Amino acid sequence: MTLTLSEAGQNVVAGTFGKAMKRAGEALGSMSGQIIEVQTPMLKRCSAADVLAMAGGPESVVLAVYVGINGSLEGHALLLFSPADAHRLAAILLAGLLGPGELPMEESADVLNYDELELSALQEAGNVTISAFLNELGTHLHEPVMPTPPQVVIEMAGAVLDAVLLDLVNDGDQVLAAKTTFSEGGRDIDGSLFVLPRADSLRVLLDALGAIGL
Amino acid sequence: MTLTESPSLLVAGIGEMVLSSSPDAHLVAYGLGSCIALAVWDPRTKVGGLAHFMLPNGPANSGSPVKFIDTGLDEFLHAVEAKGAVLGRCIFKAAGAAAMLTVGGGLAIGKRNAEAMDAALKERGHSLVATALGGNAGRTVQLEVADGRFLIKSLSSVSEL
Repeated sequence: MTLTLSEAGQNVVAGTFGKAMKRAGEALGSMSGQIIEVQTPMLKRCSAADVLAMAGGPESVVLAVYVGINGSLEGHALLLFSPADAHRLAAILLAGLLGPGELPMEESADVLNYDELELSALQEAGNVTISAFLNELGTHLHEPVMPTPPQVVIEMAGAVLDAVLLDLVNDGDQVLAAKTTFSEGGRDIDGSLFVLPRADSLRVLLDALGAIGL
Repeated sequence: MTLTESPSLLVAGIGEMVLSSSPDAHLVAYGLGSCIALAVWDPRTKVGGLAHFMLPNGPANSGSPVKFIDTGLDEFLHAVEAKGAVLGRCIFKAAGAAAMLTVGGGLAIGKRNAEAMDAALKERGHSLVATALGGNAGRTVQLEVADGRFLIKSLSSVSEL
């Protein structure tokens, strides 16, 4: 499917996705008790290979929280962090939940090892962030958007993303990828939120936003 | 053991293939999840090819030569032959086709890829002599053109087929 939007149409979409990303950042911030800044999202219609490049290349290791999107909007959402920054975010989140002094303070020698508490906090962070994003988009749709439970995977980015991309390239060569990065206390958390709607529900969303025919 | 970095590293991106008859060449596909990589190597002429397939079936002329197994396999095999391999004596190995995500239910593409590859090769009179398929771990693979070794790297292990 090829959807061509006018510049005005693209601005409407960018505005809505930008607002949704901001909501996602606010949700992550309120969960952590810190102010989380969200960059203006990059919204791009691109190939599967481009999405892999946006995620840091197929072999870069990431901690990913995956949420499937069903209901009036269908597709996939992923919150990706570099392994070190996932530990940092988990520490911020757990400090907010448990209070200072109750954290296991020893640094793990292996950056790919996370304890259950960390994984649970990061999974919930993905859930809250992606849900906030979807709730914002959902306000424009008539039927509810239903996210699946979150799943945490520590893997090469290519391996995490390819199943999702394969599901989308059945629809056509191009996918719409929305990506942003977060920062906390002036320090970047190397985290990216990808939202990849299916082509047919993207059309429904664009219709609902009034972006088609502008 | 780490996978080799060298000027003769040829990378098959998603939906792409690479071929070589140079003994220095290492053919690589990074970060396979549900995708499936097929390695073909002729032990006599030392010609190798590696293809990074995405899906069991789909239209030809989709922009990537080996995006789909049903329409891309012949194109890949012809390219390997054109490079100087005789398919009848080639060694076929495959890796990938994992299931990374368990939620949502609808993403069992890895299994379908493994079945489609096996069937498509049999149909053409070929069979896989070694595989690293399925499971839930991502893989980076490397075909050594000099000797046909097929290296499989995941986050937790490195093995050789």
